[in-house]
Amino acid sequence: MGKNVILEEEVEARNFERGGEVSSRLKTLLTRLNIDPDIIRRSSIITYELEMNIIIHSRGGKIVASVEKDRLQIAARDEGPGIEDVDRALRPGFSTADQDVRELGFGAGMGLNNVDKYSDNLKIHSDEGTKVHSTVFLSREDEENG
Amino acid sequence: MAEIHSVLLKGDKCEGCTNCVKDCPTNAIRVHGGKANIKDDLCIDCAECIRTCEHNAKYIDADRLEQIDNYKLTAALIPPSFYGQFRENFDPGRIMSGLQSLGFTEVYNVARAAEALSRKTASFLRKSNGFYISTSCPVVVRLVQKIYPELVDHLLPFKSPVEMTARKAREELSEESGLKESDIGVFFITPCSAKLTSVKLALGQEESYLDGAIAVREIYDHLYPYLRGENSLESGNSGKSPSINFPLIPYAGIKWGQSGGEEDLLHKLKQPEVLSVSGLVEVRKALDELARNNLTGVRYLEMVSCPQGCVGGVLNILNPYQAKYNIRNLVRSRKEDLFSSRAEEENYAFKLESGFCPDQRGELDVDMEKALEKLARMEEEEEILPGLNCASCGAPDCETLAEDIVKGEAERIDCIFMLRQEIQRLADQVSNLSRELPPVFSEDDAADGDRSRS
Repeated sequence: MGKNVILEEEVEARNFERGGEVSSRLKTLLTRLNIDPDIIRRSSIITYELEMNIIIHSRGGKIVASVEKDRLQIAARDEGPGIEDVDRALRPGFSTADQDVRELGFGAGMGLNNVDKYSDNLKIHSDEGTKVHSTVFLSREDEENG
Repeated sequence: MAEIHSVLLKGDKCEGCTNCVKDCPTNAIRVHGGKANIKDDLCIDCAECIRTCEHNAKYIDADRLEQIDNYKLTAALIPPSFYGQFRENFDPGRIMSGLQSLGFTEVYNVARAAEALSRKTASFLRKSNGFYISTSCPVVVRLVQKIYPELVDHLLPFKSPVEMTARKAREELSEESGLKESDIGVFFITPCSAKLTSVKLALGQEESYLDGAIAVREIYDHLYPYLRGENSLESGNSGKSPSINFPLIPYAGIKWGQSGGEEDLLHKLKQPEVLSVSGLVEVRKALDELARNNLTGVRYLEMVSCPQGCVGGVLNILNPYQAKYNIRNLVRSRKEDLFSSRAEEENYAFKLESGFCPDQRGELDVDMEKALEKLARMEEEEEILPGLNCASCGAPDCETLAEDIVKGEAERIDCIFMLRQEIQRLADQVSNLSRELPPVFSEDDAADGDRSRS
């Protein structure tokens, strides 16, 4: 079984109205694939946070989800401006969100921290733009072996 | 075979329109063969289709009052919302005695168990972490089990006040009388279809403590003449006067009958982190936010699928707004807004016997690899379909039709636009064929055909 892209969605910068749509869509797809509820919950949270990150911090981007054998991969890619210090960005409460966003009640600095918490594996690469690659194992055994 | 669900279809009244199909929260309805079909495994008995149907083709199969004659002793369980059903705002004690006059041996207030459950919930929340969802509304429980299985662990792990009361009633009646189980009948006066279904299809336990559920409407028809008449507790001049003195009326618990009631009680118990959501559309939106971890600070969700709470149940008499107003008015006027009993006086069995399990639905195949293939095919079908979501095919939208096609439950030409395209294609083919010539004809024959014959 190769890599199956099941979702590929553009996310617009600053479009708070639509925040959550990609996460809901992924949930529907994972349900059709008969994925375990716990995996669905974690993937929904991860996807929502990645979606909101693109909306809040970037100039727009894309989320791609794919299933490969024993794992689900959720990749977010945006067009910048990029994360200066990835380690710091992962810390709870750290945020570079500007005042406008904070006034809307977003940017509390829990986003990437949550992504990290619910992923089995997380890779972040950032220069101009940012690439986040989150992996969730599809069953307990894989988690132990993987 | 006996029906599992209480929301059923009157075939002769169904016109085959697709209003109910579009409004069903679990996509459980399809119109096939000119009639709506409800899929048993997806129906959560929310009654949205009853609200939507313009032809009164859906009905609720409730128990009848005569059924209490099958038992030696009977208990009537009054839901909190029932007290809002009378424009005259009759005294709750009088309503209770009225029910006894209909033939029930004992009358129990579910509101009393609701008070006890609020107390239990408040202490449970203090001892636990994370958020919990109220499990009093069976529609919410079934919706979570089927559509939000990832939130099942967040369902409050206690019986509903109705089941708590039913168990207590059953125990008390059998203890006092020494009669056997089968001689005792415990009936709930139900404002909704979902509670009715819970009698047959118990939630979180092997079986329900109820023997049946009688619609508010039916009880109302029998009870109202009594309430309007002279026959009342206060006058005390009746041969039918009640056999017992009713315990304190649980005014605080009666608040549970309308949305915000449970929230109110928890606030009184110093549990402020509560959010109340009512109406199925709103409940779904709030569950979506919960599923993506996006409701910060909320520890407890009072969730009821009917608009305005249980007063919005389809088996009620008054409109939900009037009934909600009546309940608030009743509770306020008494100034007895406090709990009717102390915690130590109540001996309810809160704990669920088997707990709530996920009942995830909507998979294309149990095998993931096959499901992936079907998902790809489904996407192809969706590309081909017009995307108008007109529901003329009998499914709620193009996406669901695509799903049904892949599952082998529908065909592409069930879509009228696809059918039209197919007819067009055939017509073109026919037209092209008509221009084809048998080999014995020459091209000139064809061109001069008409002239040469004349």
